[in-house]
This record gives sequence, structure tokens and C-alpha cells, in this order.
Amino acid sequence: MHTDARTLENGAVLEGDLCIVGAGASGITIARELNNTAVKVLLLEGGGFEFEQQMQDLYRGEIVGQPYFPLQAAALHYFGGTTNHWAGFCSTYDAIDFEKRDWVPHSGWPIRREDLDPFYVRAQKILELGPYKYDVGDWKMGDPDRVPLLEDSDVFRTKMWQFSPPTRFGTKYRNDIVNARNIHLYTHANVVEVEANEGLTAVQAVRIRGFDGKEFHVRAKRFVLACHTIQNARLLLASNRQARTGLGNGNDLVGRYFMEHFEMPSGELALAKPEMTKTRLYEFSGLGGTPRGELAITPAAQREHRILHGTASVEAGNYGEPVKSTFQFIDTVMMNAMRAWEKNGRKGPPPIAAAAAATAPRTPGPPRFFHLTTRQEQAPNPDSRVTLSTEKDALGVPRARLDWRLTNLDKRSMRIFYHLLGREMGRTDTGRVQIRDWLLNDDKTWPGFISGGWHHMGTTRMSDDPKQGVVDANCKVHGLANLYIGGAAVYATAGAVNPTLTLVALSLRLADHLKGTG
Amino acid sequence: MTLDRRRFLQLSALSVVATLADSACQPNRTIGLPELLGMLGPDRVREIGNHYRSATPAESTADGLRAAIFNSQSVFSGFPLIKHDPIGDQIRDDYADGRIVLVDGWVLSLTEARQCALFSLSVA
Repeated sequence: MHTDARTLENGAVLEGDLCIVGAGASGITIARELNNTAVKVLLLEGGGFEFEQQMQDLYRGEIVGQPYFPLQAAALHYFGGTTNHWAGFCSTYDAIDFEKRDWVPHSGWPIRREDLDPFYVRAQKILELGPYKYDVGDWKMGDPDRVPLLEDSDVFRTKMWQFSPPTRFGTKYRNDIVNARNIHLYTHANVVEVEANEGLTAVQAVRIRGFDGKEFHVRAKRFVLACHTIQNARLLLASNRQARTGLGNGNDLVGRYFMEHFEMPSGELALAKPEMTKTRLYEFSGLGGTPRGELAITPAAQREHRILHGTASVEAGNYGEPVKSTFQFIDTVMMNAMRAWEKNGRKGPPPIAAAAAATAPRTPGPPRFFHLTTRQEQAPNPDSRVTLSTEKDALGVPRARLDWRLTNLDKRSMRIFYHLLGREMGRTDTGRVQIRDWLLNDDKTWPGFISGGWHHMGTTRMSDDPKQGVVDANCKVHGLANLYIGGAAVYATAGAVNPTLTLVALSLRLADHLKGTG
Repeated sequence: MTLDRRRFLQLSALSVVATLADSACQPNRTIGLPELLGMLGPDRVREIGNHYRSATPAESTADGLRAAIFNSQSVFSGFPLIKHDPIGDQIRDDYADGRIVLVDGWVLSLTEARQCALFSLSVA
């Protein structure tokens, strides 16, 4: 069922068993898992089924600290959420990503990689990926040229990515939701406050407000906030009428540990024998294309050198040509062009491919030079955080204020990564590596083109200890009996790879927990 | 024609001497022509060499660089019948043993960097 919340009467009260706030990858996944159960699900989406500027503006926020992409462009506020513009890059987190690493402060999850394996299998299908296989050997595809670089290295391995079409949850799963007997979707239902009981031990309701000033409430036995990493924190912090510092924030952790994945051009690779070196495994064949590999630092090398987990993409190019970071290459103009291209039936090549092709043509023959672009986790940092701005949005809710802060470990890890890569490339005489200037100086300064991948993680991190995390291993907010968080907001560490596959796996796990606890 | 034992030994000895001489000469022939030339091209190699010399004043002359390359390892005193590519071996050893330098951002073996420096002196 679907109702546009703008048609509801002022003061209405809706009731259900489970209220999910946010219909993005996490919210839709959880709701679909509860389809055809006895659970009456109320799914609240702030936007409609299409992009609307007025709704998107609610995501506008203040940027302090490191420069960041405009918040209203980095995540989407309508049915399907940010899957409406994601690129579909998927890979699994590794066992080490979940471990407590003594050289990475605040690392360690209360769950292990094995705990997620069965959910990864299920997430693969939801994201329209291939089989749950991420070993290089699984993706040779009968092509003798799909072999890894640095095969005999203990320091580097090839980590595989699969590519979702990419699945647009807003279109792919719209009918599942709208036609579900026990799921009621309300669009244009922007939650402005989470209301707790008197003792602040459980959530009683969420308050929704429209642009016309009308308000209504949703009461439920349990609630899931799945409205994006930054917005989840903002909503909890803004729910401060009953608890001065915000709901679930008794230990001043909500909003902290905001993390990104660095995605920045970091080096050049010159092959020693281009005519004999096979690089096809690393080629990007477009959205939804063939699985490809990136060079990843091994867990043993991470331990030995006390660095973060990272990978490097290997893409043919001309030496010395400018290489843009993700934020530079896929700017808001490009995002709008891609959105229009999809909306108009994907006619012709995608604008992003045209932009990539516009770079200078390579010299004929097998390429000698390759651009190396980092994809690396950011170390968890309590000072990297989302707080509330003094400015309010059109619904009267304080806007998010993002203070993205980095640590010396972030940059040092990247630099050591490329030192080690250079040594391994030289040792095997595969090639030579040049590290970009910005990475060579101190560990504190960052270039103007600093970039993430619009991967927003942390802010309500997972820990068994309420003093270390906002949610427990079941994604339930500590101290609140019936409030859960869905999405990448619960990540304790960022891992090296894109977050969506893990986000969906965690949402499936949460859905199973909600089913199991009746 | 048949070879008697004495003649065979004479020829073998000559062959060993020739091999020794060839091996001993090879470093001098190739030392200033790094294999990086094929990979990076002369302009970048020269640039790397210039960077290395300015960062390492003690090795800024051709003689100093040759001495540094020859003195850095014992490969040139190795048995010449096995060491056909002493510079290549030295470079491999550099990478394996961590004798790595960073020159103009390039991660290179110390021997390679010195070769680049030598090359930068030899070319106008």
C-alpha cells in the first residue's frame, strides 16, 4: 500500500508493529524481508518517487573541517535513496576489517566477517550481482589474460569487485513495497523528531511534518532509523526536547566517527614489459560490467607496517595527464547529467563514459602507463563528526554540520602502501611506481582535491560497550529498547571497499533479528 | 678434425678468460644506460638523475657514481660464468633487501637511481 502523506489530516496518528524511517537500500531491504509476515510495517520516506529539489534541499548542510562534497548532492532524498545514483561497485569486507587492530585506534566490531557471510550471499541477489565469489580464480572467465599482477607477492593481492547493474531500489523494488499486504509506504513523510517515553528507555513515536505545517505521528512497537548516515545522526541529535544532547546520545557518541573512503589519484605505474604483462583483470568495462580487480594490501602487510586497509585501481592512461579525484570527476553537473540520462531511457553512451573518453587518446599498442587511484578506509576518529548547525531547514529541523577530520594514520597508510607497491613492482620487475607529490610530504596536510566516494559511514557506530558505540551487535541503540539503526551509520570501521554490499547484508541481518524477536 | 686432450684444455681455458673479460667489461658498458630508459624514456630518466644528484651531492660526479655503484655490492667479484647481468642482479638485490630510494616520487633501487644520475651526466 502507498499513501502520499501530504493527504493525511493534521494530527493523524498511524500505528503499526514496525516503523522504518527511510526508504533507501537499507529501509527497503528490511521492509521486503518482512513482506508476507504478520508484522505491520510502516515505511516512511521523506521524498516522493522522483527527485524533487524542495525535498533534496532538506539534506543541505554546513561543511567545516576538511572540504567536502555538498551534502545535498552526496545523498538522495527520495524513494530508493542514494541507490538512485550509485555506481554499483560491490565487494566484501575482509576478516581483518572487523578485527580489533592495536595500531588502529577505535577499531573492532562486535561481529566477525563469518557472521555476515550468509547475509552477503543473500545481498548478492538483491543487488543483482553474480555468485558470492570474490577470489581471482573465480573470475578468470576462460580468458588467459585475466591474471593477477604480483601473483607471488606476500604484500599485495588482487581483490575482486562485482558490479551491480546498478540496482535502483526505487524502481526495482517499488512494486514489491507498494503491493505488499502488510507494508504501508508513506511518501513525503519527513520525520522531524523521535519521541521517547518518559524514562527515555524506549521510543514511543516519530513526529512527521509537512511543508504546509501539518503534523502527524507514527506509533509502533519498534523503530528503525534508516535514513542515511548523516541524517540518522542529525535526527537523533535534533530529538533533544526530552534529552538535552539528543536521543541515544548519553555517551556523546551520536554523530562521531564519521568516516569516508579516500578515493584519490595517488601514483603512476610504468610497466617494464607492457607487451608481456596482462592487465585485463583490472579493466573497468562500465556500469554493471565484468568483475575486475584492484591491488590490495594483504592483512599480513597491514599488521607488519601498522597501516590501514587500502586498494589501488590500475587504469591505463598517459603519463603526466591530469587525473581527477572522484569528487572532481563526478561533480554535481555530472550527477545531474547521469540522472537525466537514466530518466530518459539510457539512450546513447552514459555521460560519464563520454567524459572519460574525452581524455587524451593513448599511444597505440599495449599501454605502458597506468594511473593508480587509492581506495582506502579512513581511521575511526571521534573528532570527525556530524553535529547540528544553527541554521534550520524548511521544516524547522537544524541542518547537519559535517566536520570531516582525518588523522596522520590515514595519509601515512597511503604513502606506505605506495612505497610497498613500488618495491614489489620493482622486485618482480613488473614495473616502477611513481608516488604523487601530494603524498610525499608530511602526514597532516591534504591537497585541495581531497576526495571520498560519497561513502558515509559511522555516526552511530556498533560496539558492545555503550561507551564505545551507539548501537549493539544487533544494531539496537544502547539504552533504548526498541530503536534500531539501519545502514552504514553502524559501521565501526570503514573497510577498504565500497559499503553498499555490506550495508545490505547488515540490513538483512537486522531484518532477521526483527523477525526472530517477534 | 679431432681435438686431443691438450688442445681441448687450451680452448676451454681461453673460453673462460673470454667470458671473464666480457663479464668484467659489461658493467662499464651498461652502467650508464639504465634499463629504465626503455621503461620511462630518456627525458624522465635524465630528470630522475638530476633529482638524485641534487639530493646526493656526494654522488654528483660520474666517477663518484661509478664508484658508488661498484662499491655498493660484491656482485662484480662473483663468479662470472653465473653472473651474466651483474647490474640486473644488483638491482634485484636492492629491491629484495630494501635498498630503495625515492627520487622525484619514483620508487627505485639505489643502483637504478645512481644509473639515472650517471645517465644525466652523460647526455647533454
